[in-house]
Amino acid sequence: MFDLLDLGLNLKALGIGWGTLLMFALLVVLLLTGTPLAMVTLFVALIFAVGWFGPNSVPLITSRVYSFVSSFVFVSVPMFVLMAAILDRSGIARDLFDAMKLVGGRLRGGVAVQTIFVAVILAAMSGIIGGEIVLLGLVALPQMLRLGYNRRLAIGVVCAGGSLGTMVPPSIVLIIYGLTANISVGDLFTAAFLPGFMLAGLYVAYVLLRSYLDPNAAPPTPVERVSFRENLPLLRGLVLPFLVVFSVLGSIYGGIASVTEASAIGVAGVIVSTILRREFSFRMLLDAALHTLATVGMIMWIGIGASALVGVYNLMGGIRFISQLITGVSDQPMMIILFMMLILFILGMFLDWVGIALLTMPIFVPIILELGYDPVWFGVLFAMNMQVSFLTPPFGPAAFYLKSVTPPDITLGEIFRSLAPFICLQVLAVGLLILFPAIAIY
Amino acid sequence: AQEFDLTFQSVDPAGNPNFAIQKEWTERVNKMSGGRIAIELLPVGAVVNYSETQEAVGSGILDGHITDVSYFSGKDPAFGLVANPIGAWSSPDEMFRFINYGGGYELMNELEEPYGLHFVGATTTGLEGFVSDRPLDGVADLKGLKVRAPEGLIQEVFAAAGAVPVNLPYSEVYTSLDKGVIDAADSTVFSTNHQQGLHKVAVHPVYPGFHSMPLVEVAMNLEKWNSMPEDLQEIMTVSVRDFAQDAVAQLSMNDLKAVAEAKADPSITVHNWPAEERAKFRTIAMDQWSKVAASSENAQKVYDLLTEYLESQGLLD
Amino acid sequence: MSAPLDHKPTVPDMLQTDAPQPEALSQAGWLGRAITVAARVFAVCILAAMAILVTEVFLRYVFNRPTIWAHETTIFLSALTFIFGGLYCVARNTHIRVVLIYDVVRSPVRHVLDVVISIACLGASLFFAWASWLMVKKAMFRPDGSFALETSGSAWNSPAPAVLKMFLLCVLVTMSFQFLILTFNYARGTKAPKGHDNV
Ligand code: NA
Ligand code: NA
Repeated sequence: MFDLLDLGLNLKALGIGWGTLLMFALLVVLLLTGTPLAMVTLFVALIFAVGWFGPNSVPLITSRVYSFVSSFVFVSVPMFVLMAAILDRSGIARDLFDAMKLVGGRLRGGVAVQTIFVAVILAAMSGIIGGEIVLLGLVALPQMLRLGYNRRLAIGVVCAGGSLGTMVPPSIVLIIYGLTANISVGDLFTAAFLPGFMLAGLYVAYVLLRSYLDPNAAPPTPVERVSFRENLPLLRGLVLPFLVVFSVLGSIYGGIASVTEASAIGVAGVIVSTILRREFSFRMLLDAALHTLATVGMIMWIGIGASALVGVYNLMGGIRFISQLITGVSDQPMMIILFMMLILFILGMFLDWVGIALLTMPIFVPIILELGYDPVWFGVLFAMNMQVSFLTPPFGPAAFYLKSVTPPDITLGEIFRSLAPFICLQVLAVGLLILFPAIAIY
Repeated sequence: AQEFDLTFQSVDPAGNPNFAIQKEWTERVNKMSGGRIAIELLPVGAVVNYSETQEAVGSGILDGHITDVSYFSGKDPAFGLVANPIGAWSSPDEMFRFINYGGGYELMNELEEPYGLHFVGATTTGLEGFVSDRPLDGVADLKGLKVRAPEGLIQEVFAAAGAVPVNLPYSEVYTSLDKGVIDAADSTVFSTNHQQGLHKVAVHPVYPGFHSMPLVEVAMNLEKWNSMPEDLQEIMTVSVRDFAQDAVAQLSMNDLKAVAEAKADPSITVHNWPAEERAKFRTIAMDQWSKVAASSENAQKVYDLLTEYLESQGLLD
Repeated sequence: MSAPLDHKPTVPDMLQTDAPQPEALSQAGWLGRAITVAARVFAVCILAAMAILVTEVFLRYVFNRPTIWAHETTIFLSALTFIFGGLYCVARNTHIRVVLIYDVVRSPVRHVLDVVISIACLGASLFFAWASWLMVKKAMFRPDGSFALETSGSAWNSPAPAVLKMFLLCVLVTMSFQFLILTFNYARGTKAPKGHDNV
């Protein structure tokens, strides 16, 4: 039977160029039929493994699955998700949001600005996206809609702000990049702070400008003015979140724990917070863990599929093909960088960041080093590109996360349309980072 | 005419100097064979994880690999012992002599053939540099030292020497040293450690290292190997012997240059252990060898051959 | 609709801790229900992994006595949950999918799509189960055929690699069964589609 398969499906005859194209076409078509993404990538990997090398190469895929799930770096993924799941089941995030009224209370567009501030704090606790978008979608979005914010502006703020988790340290994207590029995760984190804040700053500037120019974008400032003294109790809402941020980043920079261990300390911090707030119960904890299992299964299987596909593609000669493609583009180093950005943008539309990292990093990093660029800077640039990939259709994880918690009248199409200006801001941030590398490596 | 189109996977990432030297070897093989052998060398993790290459080569998914043999300790402890008999070698040449003339070549093939691999030849990174934030001048200073060590024999040797081995992935070595999560690390060769800035955060490196010199093998799928005509087999074997010399020479040149740089840097103190301290460490290590030897039939074979060889060369004093 | 997280849009109450437990897709049948029950065990694994990591940091930082088993155990527990998590999402139909077109087409077309997708996934998971059996054989037996579990090769030297590979095989076989049941139930089309397309 396997001989028949071999005869009927000899993809190797296509050559790597057409093979790459066919692979892409197959990915897009299967993706659009509504097949789960994890299955799409696994399925395409299987077809190419069998069609290019024969059935005996299929263990390569299961071997990659095994290696993928047993890598130490991914231990932090369930920790970050669990942290968000517990936050979600406690009142911590809501109190944090209320306390942030002090930031944006008097401004036109203030609640949207406040949402971005909360997003940054959540991002400093977590290293992945998903949890933050869900939290903001539940806490901030209804409030902005009720106050009469422009729907699309509100949706955009929640998705873009909620995606900051992998840009503001700690960040699993930077951890994986550090592993692939063989550079210090600590250096990457230090370099990513400013660009992360810059991106958040761009969002804030955009919100303020929109609210100032367009009276329909944001409601007028509320008449009910509260004194600072009345606001004081609200400030308590800031204490616990800041303690969690402090315990995560403090244990990394204070030499207490490795980056991965710090994520577990963050979970412990959140659990302690719920105990202090008298919201803790074992039922709640188990519920959060069960939710984590579901989310992690989804996230990791997307990674598994991507990893399998990348393994098959590399065996097909993909590395050599893409390297030649890139270095053949131009003699100008800047053109090569821009071409890489273009590749990342296109891949970002169809793959998740794990797949993109696994595929492009071993190819891009040596080229970057050869051109004399700083790999730390490129790592931050990569993380910034992944911000874009979270928002771009058709595969935009941020939109999917938000869709899972919004009322049915907000369609996926509307979410993607709302994200357009924010994608432009992200591309602008990528441009700034290329033009002024000092933003990252100061 | 191209007859053998081979895909090899390396244990090093594409940006690493080792990878460049390996790539040069593949180009040399192509020339030497008049274009009849073309090897595409892929970086670590490109097709399968570094720990899975033995299986992938054995089943023919990959045609060959260049890798540290200790990664297969989990399949048979014998691989761990032969790959890194800690304390046995004080220079790459001693190891190469054992492999090429002391029965090591036959032993490696006896170990690898059942898994479907042919051992083509051995190379090494040379004695690795030891990275430490605490001044170390002998075995006594290892007491209580929190040291990152990779899996295998090395962890047990450190533990037996009084140190506290910590399991950490390579990617977290820098941050963990910098922040004091660990005091020391069995990382890699001095030059690479230096280049990565490890000596900035751990200012008491020991060079030459006293601890580790991995056996890095070039191995091929057995069937593929057997299908090669004898002249091509000979080209592979001999070129690997040259490649080993090439790798060791280039890496030790890099190392010496980096050591000179480090010595010129007032913030870094390069330590060198006296011969008697190295001997003490070796004695501790050898106790652990015999423990490993007891864990499998093959490991015992490795142990017997190794001690016999070392004895015959007067290296077991 | 894509439902990456099991939040119900109608439950915005943050303090509600006694929300109904997530259920299996109705077409997943008895196997789907069994998987959702077994999920609790793996949820506890995540909590255990967290506790072990925190303990390790504590032992190392406070007592200067790191363990040789903490990281290996954490990786093992996480890997178990990652592998099982995929099966759990299949049973509950919560794997991320792009539904830009799927949502637009009329329900008979959607019905056909459901069946075809399930069959394709069934074929793929059977293939993977076969491949992982080849992997498991190598992790369970030496080349000479004698029994020996592949170990981690660390100072602790646990048989985690062999156990994980066997677990992966079990999950892939179960997943094949699950897709078989899904295909059958979608093809019968007796039960109203519930799950991804009604959000
Ligand atoms: Na973050
Ligand atoms: Na995208």
